Amino acid sequence: MTTQIIARPAATPRSKKVLDSGRGGRPALGFLAPFVILYLLFVIGPALYGLLMSFFGTSLVRPGLGTFAGLRNYAEALGSSDFWSSLWHTVWFTILTTPPLVVIGFVFALLAERVSHGKWFFRLAFFAPYILPSAVMALIWVWLYTPDLGLISAALAKISITAPTWLGDPNWAMISIAIATIWWTLGFNFVLYLAGLQDIPRELYEAASMDGAGRFQQIRHITIPLLARTTTLVIVLQVIASLKVFDQMYIMTGGGPNFSTRPALQYIYDIGFTDYRVGYGAAASTLFFILVLAVSMVWFVMTRRQERQA
Amino acid sequence: MSNTSDPSPRIAGHPGSQVSRRGFLGGTLAVAAAGIGLSACASPVAAGLIGSKIDPGTVDYWNLFGGGDGIRMEAMEAGFQATHRDIGLQSVTLAWGNPYYTKLSLATLGAQPPNVAISHLTRMKTLVAANLLQELHPEDLARHGMSADKFNRRAWNTGLVNGRIYAIPLDTHPFVCFYNTQVCKKAGLLDAQGKLKPIQGEAAFLDALNRAKQASGQYGAVIAITNENATPWRIFQTLYSQLGGQVLADDGRRIVLDDAKATRALKLLASLNTKGLIPGSMDYQGSIALFAGGKAAFFFQGEWEITTFQTAKTPFGMAPFPNVLGGTYAVQADSHTLVLPKNPKQNRADLDRALTFVRSMLDQSGTWAEGGHVPAWLPYRNSADYAKLTPQSNYASTADFAVYDPQAWYSGSGSDFETIVGGTVGAVIAGQLQPAAGIAQIRSKLQVLARTDPPT
Amino acid sequence: MASATADPTTVRSSRKGIAAGDPQRSSRAFNRICTGVLIAFSLLWLMPLLWALDTALKPNSETAALPVTWLIKHPTLDAFRSILGQGDIWHWYAASFIISALTVVVTLLTASMAAFALSQLRFRRRGFAFGFIMAGIMIPGQVLIVPLFREMGAMHLLNTYWAVILPQVPTAIAVFVFKQFFDGLPHELEESARIDGASTWQIYRRIAMPLTRPAVAAVAIFTFVWSWNNLLWPLLVLSNPKLMTIPVGLATVQGNFGIRYADTMAASLLGALPLIVLFLFFQRQIVEGIAGTGLKG
Repeated sequence: MTTQIIARPAATPRSKKVLDSGRGGRPALGFLAPFVILYLLFVIGPALYGLLMSFFGTSLVRPGLGTFAGLRNYAEALGSSDFWSSLWHTVWFTILTTPPLVVIGFVFALLAERVSHGKWFFRLAFFAPYILPSAVMALIWVWLYTPDLGLISAALAKISITAPTWLGDPNWAMISIAIATIWWTLGFNFVLYLAGLQDIPRELYEAASMDGAGRFQQIRHITIPLLARTTTLVIVLQVIASLKVFDQMYIMTGGGPNFSTRPALQYIYDIGFTDYRVGYGAAASTLFFILVLAVSMVWFVMTRRQERQA
Repeated sequence: MSNTSDPSPRIAGHPGSQVSRRGFLGGTLAVAAAGIGLSACASPVAAGLIGSKIDPGTVDYWNLFGGGDGIRMEAMEAGFQATHRDIGLQSVTLAWGNPYYTKLSLATLGAQPPNVAISHLTRMKTLVAANLLQELHPEDLARHGMSADKFNRRAWNTGLVNGRIYAIPLDTHPFVCFYNTQVCKKAGLLDAQGKLKPIQGEAAFLDALNRAKQASGQYGAVIAITNENATPWRIFQTLYSQLGGQVLADDGRRIVLDDAKATRALKLLASLNTKGLIPGSMDYQGSIALFAGGKAAFFFQGEWEITTFQTAKTPFGMAPFPNVLGGTYAVQADSHTLVLPKNPKQNRADLDRALTFVRSMLDQSGTWAEGGHVPAWLPYRNSADYAKLTPQSNYASTADFAVYDPQAWYSGSGSDFETIVGGTVGAVIAGQLQPAAGIAQIRSKLQVLARTDPPT
Repeated sequence: MASATADPTTVRSSRKGIAAGDPQRSSRAFNRICTGVLIAFSLLWLMPLLWALDTALKPNSETAALPVTWLIKHPTLDAFRSILGQGDIWHWYAASFIISALTVVVTLLTASMAAFALSQLRFRRRGFAFGFIMAGIMIPGQVLIVPLFREMGAMHLLNTYWAVILPQVPTAIAVFVFKQFFDGLPHELEESARIDGASTWQIYRRIAMPLTRPAVAAVAIFTFVWSWNNLLWPLLVLSNPKLMTIPVGLATVQGNFGIRYADTMAASLLGALPLIVLFLFFQRQIVEGIAGTGLKG
């Protein structure tokens, strides 16, 4: 199985025989060139250009780099309450979604593991939302959250609870978006955990139950530790994806009400493309990139450490 | 096991496998491309792949009208198509506010803009400064029967940039006073013809609201202030301008907020709440419902809600917003205009088609006026037909006293400026913020924007 | 209890994790509870999609009427007909298909070629090249939107499909996946091919690539789905509604629908339809791919 494809290094036990050292150079260039050219043009190039732009007051609607600004763009971003709030909204969204997505995904996988037939049905039910485009998910949930006519408010009204204005109330908007996101992405974690659970040998459970361990003790001492790698992967992927959130807010609330749900990426979008201030937008993007990089580094270090322990 | 007579060895058991995947993908692609190419949408696909013109010979038109305005605009578009069968029309409606203007800018920067687009007068200046709009030349306009003297003077002049024409005004939509005729009659506020007696000055204003409150049994008036920025801005701007106050100068580089005048306007608005004359918390939809239900005698908003109340069969009339604080009358308003984004691929025929469409919209000002807007097109505005159109014609004169949002790159309908000022004013009215604190907040937030180098 | 371990059937099912066939009666009851809970939640999970379908099959007027009910008084396909008849959604389908398909093809080609070179060919500074490409994983596309937009403008590619395709192609993860596969290939095949006089291209095309079917499938499916669902970048570069992809089109013209909720739901479901079909056909590969590689995002 390809379960450890990312974790395991290349499985070549002995040193490779040189294929054809004389001709290795030129064909290699030809094989690398298409990818590398695109990579330079559309990844490295923009990254460097963005860095350059961040030191200028570049405008979207004026040619050239504009006036030199030095570190002023960075100073403005770091001093801007709008910038920090948008970062906070992103972080808050991550906090709201990651624990439920991990725990619920794990619990559902545990439950589904016990089922002998019909796993396909549960996999379909939980995973189908995951393949929907964000726009489809957002439109469906905007409809679900519609005051008076939405299914959720109507259902709550039947048990005499007045629903809040899900997307219009600043206290509820982010929570509503988080709930929709959990519905949307749970299937991914569910599938990951299900695969991980199936890899645990049954003998371990049998041995434990012979020693008198109850069901929940078995889960605590066998299942969860053995799934540590999967859990790390799930958490890290979830966190990094949450940091890059944009679609749901843009479509469901437009970043509102009053920017109270605007994530970091939408702040960059508004600054760069609505206000035309691409130089400042590039600076904000760079700061945001540093944040994402830091989190990715944490992942890198954690998986490497787990690897060495394995 | 390799077949040594064949230089390209095959993998045992997979005779055709080296072809299958590549072939499958390629085949799918070919079929998809062929199918799509043969279908009716060949033109956009060609544009997407090689950047050609999309649907040459048609008029591409963008607007931001939803709800009642949207339906009316659709009727006008149908009117255009009925009278100009030789010109195709593609119309797109995008969400109101920043998303609309961002998309319009991006489309123009990306060299595939619409031929004609709606723009608020207050946002159009920024688009001009951003070099995104075509200048309209008098000779071209004259060919289609349009000239400066045929438009509302105030709207036309406000739209000029350095004396050049960039926009054709369609209407002015001012802040007005809706009144419930039944409740106001009970309060003794109507004249013999059943129209609202003119209200002049602060004392008369408060008195009218008091009587209205007693007659309605709940509130004198309702203003949308919760989760809503535009309405608080509009009523503040109206009162503040009646005192002669300005907010910005120098294209937004300076804040010239007059503390005394602003405080007076804010104190008056806040007192409406503390005196129980207006509800302290009410969102946009709620304010409509409250007025339609007769629980408030007055509803202060833009005139566009006329269709809502006609449909709801509310007994209502409309009048200019009273001159509460001013010697000189002033009222907040904006205008919808038609603009032509810059398009390098445009030729003379395209220009003429676009202007034909613009003229057709003006000719149908009657339909548009039914939605409450004051027509900018004078041939209709001064006609007998419009005079007969009530209650719209009751407040038509206010278009000549319209105060537009201050000029700045961050200002205009739906802009950050409105969010900042309107949001703060709403909080002051709701009692969450004292007027002095509100003014300080407005200043500090606007200061950030004023200090920023204009990107245009 | 002790008999469980001696039972050959339970030992054989060791790869299946917790077997459901536990002979203890309390376990069976517990299993039923678990299954019941799971069924309840999965029905809950299906509800939004079912409700969307229910709404789409109503006339618009019914969707705006109270009380809210699942009952459809006058079931109709009008909403679907109206959306399909308007025309724009066909342009969106075309754009999404062409962009995603081209992205997949170019990605498969360029990434596999680069991976082949990095894995099988010896050349100077190969390690550096690998590191250089892998560094791309650290750069999420979202932080590049501002400079990339300027660049696309300068290249006159705005409002073309290429503006979306080209930046989507150079994904380091695709190279990584292919490289892992190539690394695992036995060398005898290539060595004997070399001896037979095959060129590097022939080795790549006729030996290496055919053996990477799982990688090709995984990368193709993931790239297609990810490209299809991409919103932020296409939103920026495709501003003419006739050129938009499905996600961008749905996100942009939602204002058009107003209170025509049936139309909105019909448009959403139609927009998701190709992916749902893809999912139903390739469910196993998609799920295995995720379980195997933890890709996406």
